[in-house]
This record gives sequence, structure tokens and C-alpha cells, in this order.
Amino acid sequence: MDSGSNLDTLMARYQAGDFAAVTALVEAIGPRLHRFFLAQSASRSDADDLLQETWLRIHRVRHTYRPGEPVQPWFYAIARRTHIDHYRRSSRTTAHERRLEELPDAAAEFPTDEPATDDLETLLAPLSENQREVILMMKVGGMSLEEVARATSCSVGSVKQRVHRAYKILRGRINAMSPSQGSSRELP
Amino acid sequence: MTEHSVDDALQKAAEVEPPVEPELLKQIAASMQSSLRPVRPLPPTWMLAAGLTLICAAVAIAAAARIGFYGIDKLDLWERLLIFSTLGVMAWTWGVAFINRLIPGSRQRLSAGTLLSIGTAVLLSVFALVFHDYHTDHFVSAGLACLLSGLLLAIPAALLSWWLLRRGFAVNTVAAGFAGGALAGLSGVTMLELHCANSQALHVLVWHTGVVPVSAALGALAGWALRRRATPPVR
Repeated sequence: MDSGSNLDTLMARYQAGDFAAVTALVEAIGPRLHRFFLAQSASRSDADDLLQETWLRIHRVRHTYRPGEPVQPWFYAIARRTHIDHYRRSSRTTAHERRLEELPDAAAEFPTDEPATDDLETLLAPLSENQREVILMMKVGGMSLEEVARATSCSVGSVKQRVHRAYKILRGRINAMSPSQGSSRELP
Repeated sequence: MTEHSVDDALQKAAEVEPPVEPELLKQIAASMQSSLRPVRPLPPTWMLAAGLTLICAAVAIAAAARIGFYGIDKLDLWERLLIFSTLGVMAWTWGVAFINRLIPGSRQRLSAGTLLSIGTAVLLSVFALVFHDYHTDHFVSAGLACLLSGLLLAIPAALLSWWLLRRGFAVNTVAAGFAGGALAGLSGVTMLELHCANSQALHVLVWHTGVVPVSAALGALAGWALRRRATPPVR
């Protein structure tokens, strides 16, 4: 189910109006996209909302996928766009609400749905937004450099550079978290 | 610390993430199925690029036919071949770039900025090769008139191009606007080469070539405005 060619076939069937293909695609890609959002957004409810909004867009623009092209970059490019739009919308909302935030915050005492400290979001926290998304696509989504380049609309060289820098930071972070581990092989 | 250790740490961290609720996935699938009908995928890139190139050429020729072919009359055969084949190749290249920006997950070998730099350099080289009159009579007034005409012509070219690609989806509206603007600007340059009888090198180098980056910048601005309209703040 997870292989690229199966996803291609499912996508073609989805475009042809096959009900079963919709369920299969949502079950195959949905969890990956949810993890992608969860590792980048603050809460599970945000990730749920983003997942729903992404599928809504996917459904609306499903004709833009062309059979024969890699399917994962197509999904992730739309997911990435949804995440960026969400971020922009909330930044602008935050700017509108800045004055309200200066008031005493009674809601601050309520528990929040912050993630656990040993999760993906925490591990990737020191990375920039760009580095985080390429690491998520490559190492968690299982995409190739070429596919990540397509999903992020940049060159393969640029993706390589981001991954290299991200690994450098992650090595330092993991070393700091477990100082007993030694260095046996450097990254390329 | 090895590369594998980092991979392992990422894998373990990913496993800690709570799985998505199956109920949510079912709900998403059900809402998609409720409005499911067959769709026709977009045509291949070469077909759309040919359409865009034809639109640019047709708009430029139609405008020049209306106001006169004074520019092309002053060029000899090899100059015509050099200028218009370069413009044709550039329109095709920008057409492909525009299409790729309207299809999610497309391969983008060059950024729009790099493409514009290369394209402008190529145009400047071709014009420098063809035009050798270094007088600068009415440099600003004549130049602004040409720039404005080129930009005005870019508007119908941009609208028709957008109509052709109306089923596309721009993941980055600014980049798509930039590419579309540059393509439409090429239509303006083509019209100027067909119509403008001013063969002073600096006039052509500055004001004719200038239509492309200015039009690209206006396209990017339009893309930015569209994006702002599409993502209003939540109130």
C-alpha cells in the first residue's frame, strides 16, 4: 500500500471517481501528513484541523496531479502550502490580538495540550522551519532528495544543504542529551 | 555520533507521536466521497507551454498589426531570426516555469530569480549584438512610452495565460505571479521589437528589456495580493 506505484495507482483511481481509492489514499497518506503537521505545529487540534484542510484542498485540485509523476511530492506540496497559510493567518490574527494579550490572562492557568518532551517536535525544535520540513519529509515521510526538492519547490542541492546543516545541529543536540555516546562516523 | 544514530533518534521520536484518530480519517474520506466525481487531469506540460507561447506571440502580433510593423521593417533577415527565435525560446522557458508553479510537486530546476537573471542577460546580449547606434535622443520620454506600451500589452497576455492555466493550483502565488508576469512581459517585448522603430542601442537595452523584470515584479505583487486575500486573519 505504501509503495510509490501503489499510491500512483490509487491516485489515478481517485481521479476516475473510485470511492474505495479515496478511503485507501486517506488511510495511506493521512497519518504521514498528520505526523508532518504534528511535528511542526503546537497542538494536536491544530494538526487535526490542518489535516482536514489539506484533504479539502487535495480534493479540490485533484485534477492537477498528472499520472506518471511522483505522487508524494504532490501531496506534501499542498500540505506545506496549507501549513504556511495557517501560519500566516495565525500570525496576522496574533498581530490583531496583541493588545488584548496585554490584559491579565486568566486562561493561562488552564492546562494546554503541549507535547511530551521526548517527541519529534522537541527533537527538531532547534532546527529552522526549512530544515525541519526537509527532515520530516525525508526521514519520517521516507521521501527521496528529488521528491523533497519537488515538494518544497527548490533544487536538490538546496535540499542536500538543508539536510546536512540539520544533521549537524541534531548531532549536537543528541550528543548533549546523551553525552556518553562517542563519535564513530562523520556525515558526508 | 553517527548518521544512523540521528536516524534512530528521529525514528524513535516519530514513534512517540500519537497516531491520528481513525475516526478523523473516516470522516475526511466520507466528506470527500460525498462530492466525488471523475476529473480530467491537466494536459501535458509541452501542450500547455505551446499554448502559452502561441498566446504571447498572437497578442504581440495582433497589437503590432494594429499600430504598425515599423520595427521589424528595419531589421535584416538574420537580425529578425536572432531576436525572434530568442524571444520564442524564452517564452517557451518561462511558459514551462509558469506551468510548473501551477502544478504542485513539479520539478523546478531553476529559481524564478535565476531564470530572470539568465533571461535578461541573454536578451541584453542579443540586443547588444544587433543594435549599434549609441545615440540617446529623447532617452527617458521615448523609453517610458515603450516601457508603458510593453507593460500594457502584458496585461491581456497575462489574462489569457491565466485563463489557459485556470485549472492549475499555485502553491506559491508570488512565485507563480512572478513567472506569469515575466512571460507576459515577453509578449510586450515581442510587440516592441515588431513595432518600435527606435534602433538606438541604449533605448532597446534599457527600456525594451526592462519590460520583463518590471512585468515580473508586477506579477509577483499581484500574487502577493491574492495570497493576502486568500489568507485573511481569523477574527
